[in-house]
Amino acid sequence: MMKQAIASAFLVVAAIALPLLIGDNPYVTGILITLLMMATLASAWNIVGGYAGQFSFGHAAYFGAGAYSTMIMLSVFNTNPLVGMATGIVVSSLIALVTGSIVFRLKGHYFALASIAVAEIVRLTVLNLDFTGGAQGILLSDVAFLGLDLNSKNPFYYGMLSCLVVTLGITAYLRRTRTGYYLQAIREDQDAAASLAINIAYYKNKALLISAALTSVVGSIYALYIRFIDTTAVLDLRLSIEILLTAIIGGVGTLWGPLLGAALLVPLAEMLRSNVLGDAMVRIGIVSETSPIGMFFKDGLAHAHVLVYGIITVLCILYLPKGILGLLRRGK
Amino acid sequence: MLFLQSLISGLLTGGVYALAGMGMSMVFGVMNVSNFAHGDLMMLGMYLAYFAFTLLNIDPYLSLVLIIPLAFMFGYVLEKVFINRVIHHPHQNQILLTIGLGLIMSNSALLAFTSDPRILTTSYSSSSFTVFRDVSVSVPLLLSFIITCGITALLYLFLSGTRTGMALRATSQNREAAQLMGINVSRITAIAFGIGTALAAAAGALIAPTYYIHPLAGHSFLLKAFTICVLGGLGSVVGATVGGLIIGVVEALSSVYLSSDWKDVVVFVLFLAVLLFRPQGLFGKKGDQ
Repeated sequence: MMKQAIASAFLVVAAIALPLLIGDNPYVTGILITLLMMATLASAWNIVGGYAGQFSFGHAAYFGAGAYSTMIMLSVFNTNPLVGMATGIVVSSLIALVTGSIVFRLKGHYFALASIAVAEIVRLTVLNLDFTGGAQGILLSDVAFLGLDLNSKNPFYYGMLSCLVVTLGITAYLRRTRTGYYLQAIREDQDAAASLAINIAYYKNKALLISAALTSVVGSIYALYIRFIDTTAVLDLRLSIEILLTAIIGGVGTLWGPLLGAALLVPLAEMLRSNVLGDAMVRIGIVSETSPIGMFFKDGLAHAHVLVYGIITVLCILYLPKGILGLLRRGK
Repeated sequence: MLFLQSLISGLLTGGVYALAGMGMSMVFGVMNVSNFAHGDLMMLGMYLAYFAFTLLNIDPYLSLVLIIPLAFMFGYVLEKVFINRVIHHPHQNQILLTIGLGLIMSNSALLAFTSDPRILTTSYSSSSFTVFRDVSVSVPLLLSFIITCGITALLYLFLSGTRTGMALRATSQNREAAQLMGINVSRITAIAFGIGTALAAAAGALIAPTYYIHPLAGHSFLLKAFTICVLGGLGSVVGATVGGLIIGVVEALSSVYLSSDWKDVVVFVLFLAVLLFRPQGLFGKKGDQ
């Protein structure tokens, strides 16, 4: 326990100091921001998916609610970004409450199905309405907040880092409270938990609300960071699936698993996207650049990161159902 | 007239949806697995029909004779190699495994066939005939509906009349009891997944002449197939038939009276409404939700 606290304090200090070490390298900082963002999203997902055992396939809806609320409040009402963030929390909590009140009296896989349906309803609604920018999305030229230089990437690095610390802190706290134990009891055996007079729907809803609010805040920061959003970027089913895969591959229902998953998958996806792997294979001489296979590795792999996620998922479920963290623990 | 027109085209499309829904229901009933790769299996069926037509010059409806056995074998192997290993795992793992398999299929298709949508144009693709006054029926939709009815009839005959069909139904009712009666449950399970895959691919091939063929086309069909199954009652093959027709009609009516942008929203709202008011579906048994 003590050891873990010291280790986490060390990690936080290292993460705070990291931008100073990197210096002015927007490319690396950009990857780190994505890493922190996926880690936070997967950790927030883990509260309801890992501890309560309710697999959400629609977390993009909460992320998108945060992103869209912030952008609309900024571009239409010209408010402070914090107002947009708060609006996002309210909107995503409402979406979570509607989803939860419909399906949380039913068993596991109904929630999985309903969460996709709700997320698709949100996506199509945003796509078909006018004030959300429809298929064109929303572009924002300039943002001011607390006099920070928002053209630099460092404020967003620290913003995402704070989100991650808060999310992991809430998870670590929840684990030791009555709510946390109830959630794990529900995950292990819903009927047994109900027979012990645990209000199942209430605790599942509570977990989903916390998770949705955290996800929404990350969405708001993302919108300020990229300053352009559309439904494919922030509301797509693909994003929901990437969030849950990050948590699963790292280790579902554990504190550090989602962070580990993001630390592995984000650099991997970046390597595939920027073609480091394909180039390396050509350079080492495994494949020749002119052969069809070589051309496939050079051009095809750039679009293949979701394919690789799929392969890793299948391998993980068959051989490491407890994620990579589970494998590390077993080794002890 | 507009109402009658959209009712007819809704029923015809709904028939094909029903086929996909039955496949998913069969897998759910026998294996108790929610198959998230179902939409992608449909997508593979679409491409099979497309390539059979463009490369081998086989009519898409005729190519079913090849596609159905091919898809059955593919599903059988898929079950033996992958799904079989998680059949006693928690639901979440089964869902994730099928998602992973689906991602592999759709993204391999994306790499192999690029993201350009393809269109399968036959000589009769846009032909239609007038039933009376201004109500007309599209020829490809009618053909695919007739074939769907044929496949459904064969499936019912198979399930009710053959020993394997009875074994499938017995396994669906009670896996352990079926095993005790000497049924080879693991073989039946693979057959069920094979049939589910064959039905998905057949549905894909049947709608190929009237839809855009795209590697990610499976996503929207996956949700539709789930809606159909939940509406009819998860695991009920009869329910899936009725559910498919209802969804087809709802979609057609809402695209006429609302707008085609909102037709999917209407279908998903209907899905949530079923979960809220009748989670066991129209034909499901109460108590297992």
